[in-house]
Amino acid sequence: MVDVGMTLEMVEASQMGMKAIGAALAVGLTGIASGIAEMTVGSAAVGATAENRDVFGLVLLLTVIPETIVIFGLVVALLLLF
Amino acid sequence: MAGISSGITTNYIYACTRMRVRRSRLIPREDYLRMLNMGLPEITRFIGDTYYRSEIDELATSFSGINLVEVALSWNLAKEYQNILKLVPGELEYFTASYLRRWDIQNVVTILRGKMQSERSDRIKEVLVPAGRLDKVALDRLLTEESPERVVEALKGEPIYPVLEAELPGALETGSFAHLENELYKGYYAQLIADARAGIKGGKMFLKYIELEIDIRNIQNLFRLRAGHVHEDVRELMIPGGSFSVEELQRLSGITERDEFIDTLKKQMKALPLLNALEAIRGKEHLHEIEVALTRVQLDQMERMSKRYPFSVLPVLVYLEEKKYEVANLRALARGKEANLPGERLHGYLVM
Repeated sequence: MVDVGMTLEMVEASQMGMKAIGAALAVGLTGIASGIAEMTVGSAAVGATAENRDVFGLVLLLTVIPETIVIFGLVVALLLLF
Repeated sequence: MAGISSGITTNYIYACTRMRVRRSRLIPREDYLRMLNMGLPEITRFIGDTYYRSEIDELATSFSGINLVEVALSWNLAKEYQNILKLVPGELEYFTASYLRRWDIQNVVTILRGKMQSERSDRIKEVLVPAGRLDKVALDRLLTEESPERVVEALKGEPIYPVLEAELPGALETGSFAHLENELYKGYYAQLIADARAGIKGGKMFLKYIELEIDIRNIQNLFRLRAGHVHEDVRELMIPGGSFSVEELQRLSGITERDEFIDTLKKQMKALPLLNALEAIRGKEHLHEIEVALTRVQLDQMERMSKRYPFSVLPVLVYLEEKKYEVANLRALARGKEANLPGERLHGYLVM
């Protein structure tokens, strides 16, 4: 993306922008993926808890496991930015 | 899992998980084996410690002994089925309601038989299972009618009315409701197939279950007819819509040699568990053993199908069927113990 007529500041700004877009995609897409995964696990968890309250603690844990996907995304985004 | 982004899928997952949890709570095989060595009061106490407690406690003042067990089981079954109907979403509710219509047929025929015998309304009420479209209120209204004709008139507008209207005069004339009942069940299965083919999402899986059910029912009927040495025209007794045509079933019923009959049946079957079950039946003498083996293979096959389509109507149907057999098993156990039958004999009648 380096144009002949670009100054060094402009190139640096452009690179920063690209990093920001990358970080945004890393968090955004993994967030959506976590949401979809939690949707299915969550529905089953609510169903199981409705029948047996004793499993609440266990299914809560299972429901948040897909959260790791977005945490990985967040780590990648932070690595990109800093 | 088609349509993951739609809201319906989560409802399917929710309902199917609840059905699976409920299924896991059904009485296991080991408990049945333990109950075979118990007496009727112990069985009643054992049942009273499970999820039948509320019914046993509620009815204990009005009934005792075997009647308490019977009525409590029927009430629990009806309550459970009505509860599931409220719990399942959209399309699942449509198919479940369609499946549960069989209880309407059972209840209506029971009322008609009772009215024909001039039985008291409260005695008829004891044996009804209000698990279908006709709830307790509707059945109470039917019970207040005085004659079978009036009962049928009161059912105007129900899907079973046309068959009842056409068949009732013949049934009253002969004094037997067998033909009427056959026609009602044939109409029921035809309606199930029509519902499954109505283009509603999930209909394909429902149709698979219906075909399996019709096949097993027809094979059971063929074995029953063989046991009764009936080899003439059986076309009227067979249910159309399964993987066998009525003509094929008629040909099968004409085979007098038992081994040849099983071999011919096996040639037309594809599913391995069914083939194994038919092979196992070869060594069985008693009709009830054959029926239990076929029922067991039907339940296993349904369970297999429900794992293949985990978020469809199949897990709901598996639970409904298994619950039905649990109630039938407990009833058989209680009745058997009441009649002082030995445990080994009762064992053969249980679907475990």
